[in-house]
Amino acid sequence: MAKHQLKGGKKTLTNSDLITVENLIKYFPVYSRGVLLKKQVGIVHAVDNISFNIKRKETFGLVGESGCGKTTTARVILNLIEPTSGEAFFEGENIFEKFQSSNKKEKLKLRREMQLIFQNPYGSLDPRMTVFDIISEPFVIHKHVPKSQWKEKVYELLELVGLEEYHAERYPHEFSGGQRQRICIARVLAVEPKFLIADEPVSSLDVSIRAQILNLLGELQERIGLTYLYISHDLSSVRQISHRVAVMYLGEIVELADTDELFKKPLQPYTKALIQAVPIPDPKAKTMKNVLSGEVPSPINPPSGCRFHPRCPIATEKCPKEKPKLINKGHAHYVACHYA
Amino acid sequence: MSSGRSITRSFSSLLGSAMFRYIVRRLLYMIPVFLGISIISFFVMYAAGDPLSIIRIGKPDITQETIESLKIYYGLDKPVPIQYLNWLTNLLQGNFGKSLRGGRPVNLLIGSWAWETVKLQLISILLAFAISIPIGINSAKKQYSKQDVAVTSISLFGVSMPTFWLGIILIIIFSYQLGLLPSAGSRGAPYLWWDNPILDQIAHLIMPVAVLVYVMLAQNIRLIRANMLEILRSDYVLAARASGLSERKVIYKYALRNAIGPVITYLGISLGMIIAGAPMTEYVFSWPGLGRRYVTAAMELDFPVVMGITMIITMMTLIANLMIDIAYVYIDPRIRLR
Repeated sequence: MAKHQLKGGKKTLTNSDLITVENLIKYFPVYSRGVLLKKQVGIVHAVDNISFNIKRKETFGLVGESGCGKTTTARVILNLIEPTSGEAFFEGENIFEKFQSSNKKEKLKLRREMQLIFQNPYGSLDPRMTVFDIISEPFVIHKHVPKSQWKEKVYELLELVGLEEYHAERYPHEFSGGQRQRICIARVLAVEPKFLIADEPVSSLDVSIRAQILNLLGELQERIGLTYLYISHDLSSVRQISHRVAVMYLGEIVELADTDELFKKPLQPYTKALIQAVPIPDPKAKTMKNVLSGEVPSPINPPSGCRFHPRCPIATEKCPKEKPKLINKGHAHYVACHYA
Repeated sequence: MSSGRSITRSFSSLLGSAMFRYIVRRLLYMIPVFLGISIISFFVMYAAGDPLSIIRIGKPDITQETIESLKIYYGLDKPVPIQYLNWLTNLLQGNFGKSLRGGRPVNLLIGSWAWETVKLQLISILLAFAISIPIGINSAKKQYSKQDVAVTSISLFGVSMPTFWLGIILIIIFSYQLGLLPSAGSRGAPYLWWDNPILDQIAHLIMPVAVLVYVMLAQNIRLIRANMLEILRSDYVLAARASGLSERKVIYKYALRNAIGPVITYLGISLGMIIAGAPMTEYVFSWPGLGRRYVTAAMELDFPVVMGITMIITMMTLIANLMIDIAYVYIDPRIRLR
């Protein structure tokens, strides 16, 4: 992983990275409400010191079980939630510093570069706006398209995501889940972003529609040159769409490698278990060998040392005592495990 | 933006047949409801007792002959269904009948009392809604902040507290102890506050309006806060923020528009109930309005007055409901007229 010494400010671009995340931490305080005063009783370690980089025109997959911090990572990168500490860079520009600054123009510019697709296309469209209003809203905000061209541009975007012109006058409730997700994608593309975070974009959709949306995302990458951070708990879709994959467990990255490498030679026991848990469409295939036992521990009191040790089949005395570091095992295959 | 276009579109659909047919049908539906309420009220009123027996209590030396002639004068000698039909026929001609206390036409009585109530209520309702919307939004924006905790506590108190109690407390403090405000009536003779009729009116309105506003405010703030909280958590609000929309626009353009529905319903109901007034508050402040007279008439079994006011309340509630439903079509595109 690229190591940068500079804190904040503009960084010299030495590589082809579009996004660099360094030592990102997000803790949520947990309060108990007393009669009058509230007091903090704990901390949710949602994202705990993660670092990664995303190259231009790459799809970077982020996988993990529910509640492991994938969505929080996405929202912190977009500064929709304030980070506790750490840095994130977009084309070498410090994202958090920019959003902290009072320069409205710069903030708006950065908003245009990075966009987010939500998991639930039923909740992410304002029910009181027509599709036309939804897709042209970014034009109102960023003023990058003259008003005379709005109609043309909206139709163009609708066509790009596989919808028809006449859909523009309709309201979100008149569409199916897959169509709504296409509207969300059209809205996101209206700002002409470079970087797109897709937060489980297909998990709430029908299996038959999933492939369509994933193919659409792939096509758009080729045509417009988009960079994706693809977040999912569904390994098959991650394998289909990602170039590189990071596996998260309880707020930490435990393994990071090229997709083929990771799926063929998983090193971390957690990754192995995840991959083995993927159903294989062959009834004669051997059944899963080591299905994960137990639940994900609470991120309020994460286990000591290696956070995976209570559920790990190969854990030893060392594991609860010492936290394994994320180490390059060759071919840019990073893994955090004492026995990998 | 196509908001201009959507207004024209809405307007053409208003003139279009769907809306017209809908309104006509809803108005026709009102007829059976109206008749049903009138029948129930009429017979309940009749079952409550003989209205002329109260006259006998007031005047023990009244002769049986006079009572009989009064009965004939008011048409009380006929069978109840016939009385109802007579009353209904008169009503359809715009005649509410005569008060059993003094024989004055109910139309005139209601007309002279209604203004005071409408004045009091309209000021209170508009004030309450104007104040509660920004406070509710602010409370939702800063959930669990000190300001929010204060607002919700005060609202909870307002919802739970009996209105007459607050009224009496205000009278004790501002009229009895401090002697600043008049404790009763809607007008002073001579005028209070520099002998100015407008200032006099304001002086009389302050306390009853304060009580009514506080109660409505409390309910309204809780309603707006709860709705806003739900919507501010939704993904489309986050999407609006992510696309760079300013926080002010996110709140007023996205969130408020979606949160305002139940508030409009509540506003409609309040406006429908405007005539019924707040009998409790009118009583405490001896306000010469309809609400207080309504209760007095019911206790005196003055049923032409009670029936007249009941029918006006029924009518206004029905119309307010229709207006709420029509307003919803414009606020929420998911609602279609059928």
